[in-house]
Amino acid sequence: MKKGSLYHLYVVMKKDLTEFYRIRARLVTMILLPIILMLLFGYMFPSSGSITHIPIAVVNQDSSAAAIGVINSFTYMAQSSGTFNVITYSSLAQAQQALLQGRVYAIVTFRPGFGEEIRSGAAAVQVIVDQMNPTLDQIVTQGIETIFNQLNVQIAISQGFPATPGTISVNFEGLIPGAPSSFEFLAPGFIVVSTVMGGLAGLAMTFSRERELGTLDGLMMTPVSRFSIVMGKAMAQAVRGIISGTLIVILAIILFGVKIYGNILLMALIIFLGILSFTGLGLIATSFVSDQESAQMIMLMLELPMIFISGVFYPILQLPWWLRDISYMLPLSYTVLSFRSVMVLNAPLSAVWPDLLALIIYSIVTFAIAIPLFQRMVTR
Amino acid sequence: MLCTVLRPTSGRAFIEGHDIIREANEVRKIIGVVQEKLILYAPLTPVENLEFFGKLYNIDGKVLKERIMKLLDEVKLLGFKDRPVGTFSTGMRQRLNIARALLHDPQVVILDEPTNGLDPQSVRWVRDFIIDLKKRGLTVLLTTHDMYEIDELAEEVAIMDRGRILEIGSKDELKAKYGASKIEDVFLALTGKELRDELSGRLRRRGW
Repeated sequence: MKKGSLYHLYVVMKKDLTEFYRIRARLVTMILLPIILMLLFGYMFPSSGSITHIPIAVVNQDSSAAAIGVINSFTYMAQSSGTFNVITYSSLAQAQQALLQGRVYAIVTFRPGFGEEIRSGAAAVQVIVDQMNPTLDQIVTQGIETIFNQLNVQIAISQGFPATPGTISVNFEGLIPGAPSSFEFLAPGFIVVSTVMGGLAGLAMTFSRERELGTLDGLMMTPVSRFSIVMGKAMAQAVRGIISGTLIVILAIILFGVKIYGNILLMALIIFLGILSFTGLGLIATSFVSDQESAQMIMLMLELPMIFISGVFYPILQLPWWLRDISYMLPLSYTVLSFRSVMVLNAPLSAVWPDLLALIIYSIVTFAIAIPLFQRMVTR
Repeated sequence: MLCTVLRPTSGRAFIEGHDIIREANEVRKIIGVVQEKLILYAPLTPVENLEFFGKLYNIDGKVLKERIMKLLDEVKLLGFKDRPVGTFSTGMRQRLNIARALLHDPQVVILDEPTNGLDPQSVRWVRDFIIDLKKRGLTVLLTTHDMYEIDELAEEVAIMDRGRILEIGSKDELKAKYGASKIEDVFLALTGKELRDELSGRLRRRGW
């Protein structure tokens, strides 16, 4: 690669960004779209604190005074915390029915002999959690755990054994087997999607726009390599994506208390590589059509299904095998997976490099296809 | 094709000795093209537009700045140098578009219907400017549907119809050959007076 082509790449990128910055409507959209998406996602799957009065079921299978005392305390604390709305059921079957129908989100069961167990110092409570809504699941789990921790302290004090560990242990079960997820699972996906929504279509759009305006011919008539033109424009999209991604992350932190455990630079690198692979894909998809509107429709057709099968809303493992295979062919999956690992699990580069490698290969391959296609498209 | 944007299906062409396919970049350096569609970015100012293209032609910073100012002065847009091109009238845009084409000091200027849709004052200005380019020793290749423009500006004329050159020669030669007083008559004598109602090739290929 000549030094000249990198310089031209930079010149093209700067021009695209300046142009973008000048057009207020586009600039406002770039800032507004992620905000709207983040608000939607955030309130659709709210984090703890914003949800109150979650209905939960309590099933008492022990009529001893000790058990009733603990249950009354639990109910009182659950209600007064504002987080829960306790509904008492006489049988477990009834409560389970309610859970399946979505009338309650968890069942707290006090088994026969619970009162006896308390006196002996080792009691267990069974909690079944609805796993359909990962966020709610987390709030419910934490809420119930907190209440039992407080109850344990009270029991310890009343029995005069302040040093004993928890008398009541809580066993959580799910309706569906599998790892529980949370807003922490969802937030990184939203951040990636919100960033990508702008990036994927971006490059294809700037090309079809410049073609319709006629300025693309002007670019093609300069003694600049096609590589510089395409990559310069792609880089402009990536820079835009990083900026909007940063905005989204800040917003997610302020509004929804999302925490970042990992390396921010690594996260930016993932977004950057992700956008590059999307732009290449977008360019290939739109190189067969000549007007903006068709290009837009093709992009939408790519975007929407990709969002739903790339592990943004639920784990890829939950998909049927054939959808899973498709999902592994899409760059969004790798972006979401690695971004999530870094953001939530503080995964180091050594852990996410296979995903990064996949994105790099994806970018190289898509651009290797896209640049000649682009060449063919412009020379007609 | 001479602008290196379209690929010829057959045959070869050279500009100043450079093959338009094999030495496309050499050709690009010596041609300046004014197309029917303006090659300008509306959100950018004239200076930004010219700087952008100048850098793509590898023109150095200081030289570029001086050249931009000189050209903007020539096309009478110096007073508007920091306003976005989007706010310009068609005439102003075409003048800037011409400045853009001349930015890298081309030896050959290719103009595709440069006076299309312009007001009479702008048309006059563009034509005078073309005459001036000729005086500076540049080769000017002008394509137009305006037969009067040819009578005024051209020396050599090639008459094209359906993608083929029907006749080529000096203006006076052609007029004498067809016993015509105007190029318009030469053109109509060659191509007939019937109206052309043809679909564009691209649409036809798509079955429209």
